[in-house]
Amino acid sequence: MPDKTTALAIAGVTLMALAAPAIAGQKLGEAQAIRTPETIYAKTCGYCHGRNVGPIILGRGLPAESVKYIVRHGQNGMPAFRPTEVKPEELEALAAWVEKSEARKGEHGQ
Amino acid sequence: MTDINMDRRGLLGAGILGAASLGLGTGASAKNPAPLAPHMSKADFAGAMKAFRAVVGNEWVFGDEDSVAPYTKVYVPDPTHRHVPVGAVCPETVEQVQEIVRIANTYKQPLWTVSTGKNMGYGMTAPATPGQVVLDLKRMNRILEVDADLGTCLLEPGVTYQQLKDYLVENNIPLWIDVPTVGPIASPVGNTLDRGVGYTPYGEHFMFQCGMEVVLADGQVMRTGMGSVKGSTAWQAFKWGYGPYIDGLFTQSNLGVVTKMGLWLMPKPPVYKPFMVRHAEMADVPRIIEAMRPLRVSNLVANCNLMMSASYQLAMFKRRNEIVPDGMPLDEASIKKAAKANGLGMWNTYFALYGTEQTVAGVEPIIRASLTASGGEVLTAAEMGDNPWFHHHSTLMEGGLNLDEIGLLRWRGAGGGLAWFAPVAAARGVEAERQTALAKEIVEKHGFDYTAAYAIGWRDLHHIIALLFDKSDAEQEKKADACYRELVTRFGAQGWASYRTGVNSMDLVAQQYGAVNREFNAKIKHALDPNGILAPGKSGII
Repeated sequence: MPDKTTALAIAGVTLMALAAPAIAGQKLGEAQAIRTPETIYAKTCGYCHGRNVGPIILGRGLPAESVKYIVRHGQNGMPAFRPTEVKPEELEALAAWVEKSEARKGEHGQ
Repeated sequence: MTDINMDRRGLLGAGILGAASLGLGTGASAKNPAPLAPHMSKADFAGAMKAFRAVVGNEWVFGDEDSVAPYTKVYVPDPTHRHVPVGAVCPETVEQVQEIVRIANTYKQPLWTVSTGKNMGYGMTAPATPGQVVLDLKRMNRILEVDADLGTCLLEPGVTYQQLKDYLVENNIPLWIDVPTVGPIASPVGNTLDRGVGYTPYGEHFMFQCGMEVVLADGQVMRTGMGSVKGSTAWQAFKWGYGPYIDGLFTQSNLGVVTKMGLWLMPKPPVYKPFMVRHAEMADVPRIIEAMRPLRVSNLVANCNLMMSASYQLAMFKRRNEIVPDGMPLDEASIKKAAKANGLGMWNTYFALYGTEQTVAGVEPIIRASLTASGGEVLTAAEMGDNPWFHHHSTLMEGGLNLDEIGLLRWRGAGGGLAWFAPVAAARGVEAERQTALAKEIVEKHGFDYTAAYAIGWRDLHHIIALLFDKSDAEQEKKADACYRELVTRFGAQGWASYRTGVNSMDLVAQQYGAVNREFNAKIKHALDPNGILAPGKSGII
């Protein structure tokens, strides 16, 4: 188990890696970089969840483990997302972010 | 049918029977793993997977049930669990694709290629026949070139419409994309290879494709059109090249693995004006088509005209039991009442005008006169405001992104069941009248709803029927499977065959096109892919 300093350093590196592409965007000739949870939510999840189509998932304290399982397996009408679509490290960050998220005004689910 | 073709087809059938006789079934479960391709041993499969790992790394090869699970989710009916892959391999370069193809030849391991694997209601990443390893190209997602002057781009298969749109917006390039319904997560390359369609004047996607790079079954890399000419600057500018035009051979087929594709992009017009035409009766559809056809054939209306039935529209954002109680038929009076309450007619036709202030102002009165004479109310943003259906279609017709139509999957019960049935006819009202009657008879006989749309592409009429069912209900899934097969065969008997279909029905649809066409496809297949390693069963080609 890493000590606290190591864990913080890893978290810092991860956050930097996650933050960079949101600013830079995808460059010509380069594969898509690791995305932040905010970006993945805006460009994938949020098209359905909170917008008429899927149930609201933010601000409900959904356990990160459940989020990860549902992303990889799909659920009812929701498709499954493969590790090539949402990378393992992206999913870790996304699931933790969804669990801790606040509800958003203006979202509406069914 | 040639002998060799019969042998291949027979082998696949024998494999299924063999698996069943061993108690393996044809589907995956903890106790019942997906069967290997019939000619393969466990040692062959293990050898192929080990060799794949050496090419792409352990983390990008999936061969056990847990890690393959994301590749098994389908919306289409599959009551016998036939469409289950045995693994997946995920390259990130063309060279890796070449190596994977060579390994597949060595072990005779069939590969089912996907770009982003989100052709929902057609199969996603599920293969047409058992025993295939998914060749998942999503990691190959580089935008290689965008030419703002020529309005062209060169993409890898894993690029999504969202990625392309973001790139254009972030770099202030005034070009539009043309999306299918599930744009954010779907691939321009994959959708074009499936000959999918969109909603702007560039909606017939294959028509706006220009140049491909293909890894052939023997591992060679071939470029089509001008791409094979050293020093040419016209690979994305001139479609035809020289000699036989071959790009079409790689669409809806299994003759190569497309690793790059050129596409034309529409310049953003100065004026974009979306319209909706509301018709009050189900019986109105022939007169809508008769009114729209001359506008479309003359190109006064330059984009695909989509005529959405009220039931299709309601199914996007409502659940069935909000319209009628569970177990009751979806009757016309209830649909009409719900449609009216939501600002919809029984048919809702969407199109747009694109151009300058002058050209739009010049064309609009002609179109209004024609559609008003057909009995429709011609409406714009001024009348429709933030109506969610108008907003949805207005977004699509300017190449905007949404996933609203995934809402269809929630129509019945726990949902999750969708199979698109899309027969083609000439754009004549009388054809639609006959098709609607036949479709309603069949779907209602099996206990389903007529949730459908018509689209005039240019001179063609696509009838787009969403067969919606509750996939969590095994009996309903069986009925959906039977219903779909009856739709294909009875429409086929009338001369109406599908332009595209899901993995659940590729062979059946191929039968509608006749033995000579099937044999022709098989001869090409056997010449280019003698080991049958590329996507056996795609479009019924083995």
